[in-house]
Amino acid sequence: MTVRMGFVIITSRCIDCDACMVACRAENDVPIGKTRNWVKSSGVQGEFPKVKEVFQPGNCMHCEHPPCVSVCPTGASQKRADGIVIVENSKCIGCKYCITACPYDARFANPETGKADKCTFCLQRLEQGLKPACVQTCLGKSRHAGDLNDPESVVAKLIAKYPSRQLLTYVGTGPNIYYIDEVVPEIPEGK
Amino acid sequence: MEITWGLLIVIYLFTAGVSAGAMITSNLTLLLGGKDFERVGRWGALISPFPISFGLGVLLLDLGSPFNFYRLFMTLQVRSPMSYGSWAILFFTLLSVVYLYLWLPQKLQIVGEAKALEQWKRRLAKIIPFLSVGVASYTGLLLNAAARPLWAAPLLPVLFLVSALSTGVAAVIFVSAITPWQRARQGELHLLTKVDALLIALECFILLAMIVMGRLSSLSVAAAFGSMIYGQFAFIFWILIVGLGLLVPFSLEYMELKEKFSVRWTLPVTIGSSFLVLFGGFFVRYIITYAGQLTRWF
Ligand code: SF4
Ligand code: SF4
Repeated sequence: MTVRMGFVIITSRCIDCDACMVACRAENDVPIGKTRNWVKSSGVQGEFPKVKEVFQPGNCMHCEHPPCVSVCPTGASQKRADGIVIVENSKCIGCKYCITACPYDARFANPETGKADKCTFCLQRLEQGLKPACVQTCLGKSRHAGDLNDPESVVAKLIAKYPSRQLLTYVGTGPNIYYIDEVVPEIPEGK
Repeated sequence: MEITWGLLIVIYLFTAGVSAGAMITSNLTLLLGGKDFERVGRWGALISPFPISFGLGVLLLDLGSPFNFYRLFMTLQVRSPMSYGSWAILFFTLLSVVYLYLWLPQKLQIVGEAKALEQWKRRLAKIIPFLSVGVASYTGLLLNAAARPLWAAPLLPVLFLVSALSTGVAAVIFVSAITPWQRARQGELHLLTKVDALLIALECFILLAMIVMGRLSSLSVAAAFGSMIYGQFAFIFWILIVGLGLLVPFSLEYMELKEKFSVRWTLPVTIGSSFLVLFGGFFVRYIITYAGQLTRWF
């Protein structure tokens, strides 16, 4: 089967330490004031004393049908064969069309390069056999990344075992981040 | 979300529409009206290249990598409206300059023989309208393709097309009524005013249809239209667009066509109402661009 790179994020394990954002900034030289990933809060839910707050980390969903790629006038935005969505900087004119077209607000205009910027799945690390920086650093083990089509991968095993959801599926983008809200006591072994 | 596409893009969307509309006005008055409509035909041709050239300059300023813009013309991405739109605009702008030359007074036409030029003028006038319709409406397709709730409205290209025609006619009325040289005759202005009033009525109808369809659509889309009709954009929508941009000029044009104004007032009213149409047309682009970005799927 073809490779389909994506993320599984377990919201119940996120403690909002924002280490993923720091790690991404350090790894990818993301300019201050912009970010390639985020942690969103549900706000306080329920009534005292039964209150809770859920954190939902995110980044580019490396969509199956990415509108950011189809609208790009120069072919700079591309979806690779392994599913990773990238921007080829030399072709990008900085028109920002892709930024307006992403329903997850996962892109930004990089003020230093003048190009569209976004999560690259840490390609430079993948080539060395490493996980993306945000996944590597996640101390709650909330973030996981890998080939969703490979049954031996952690992500596929998690999706097989727990109910998961994707964001804004009705927009038709086919996002490749799967969220698990249930308590996951043990992370399965895998690639 | 913050505003990614700001005023510069609004200006571009507006000027491209004015140019395309003025061009069609000139083409059709030439083909259907002939000598009787020479002045408005000429003014349409003389105006047409400028707004869009200005808009393109502004668009370049908005690019993050302006020196890379030639990349647009090294490829054709069939799924990207910005890609085929850029090609359409390139040809439109070039042809509009040629067309302008064909309308210059004879003593300024240094190249070409008068009779041949006149033939070319008619030939171009038959081709360019298709390109103009493309330029006027692709901006709607462009917003359609960016998956945002307000911009998903299928009528957007039609709204932009009608608004472009209306502002184009208004620009021709405005310039040809205000100029001392080659000022339009009353008959010419009368016809254009009639057309413009019809276009305004049509635009009102399309806006209404868009809003009804939007409000009956999914929650995100309904909320996006809500921001226009009772949310943060309500003032711009009701006062600047519906009031000053549509109803007031429509009433003025209607009364003018019914000859309710004395001769002294006809020209100022013509100039005033055409200005208001341009004003309203600008804010149509503004509200769609801004409200579209400040509303999102949920
Ligand atoms: S999340 Fe946004 S930037 Fe990432 S692939 Fe999907 S549409 Fe493109
Ligand atoms: S900003 Fe760059 S990557 Fe995005 S649509 Fe424009 S050219 Fe393509």
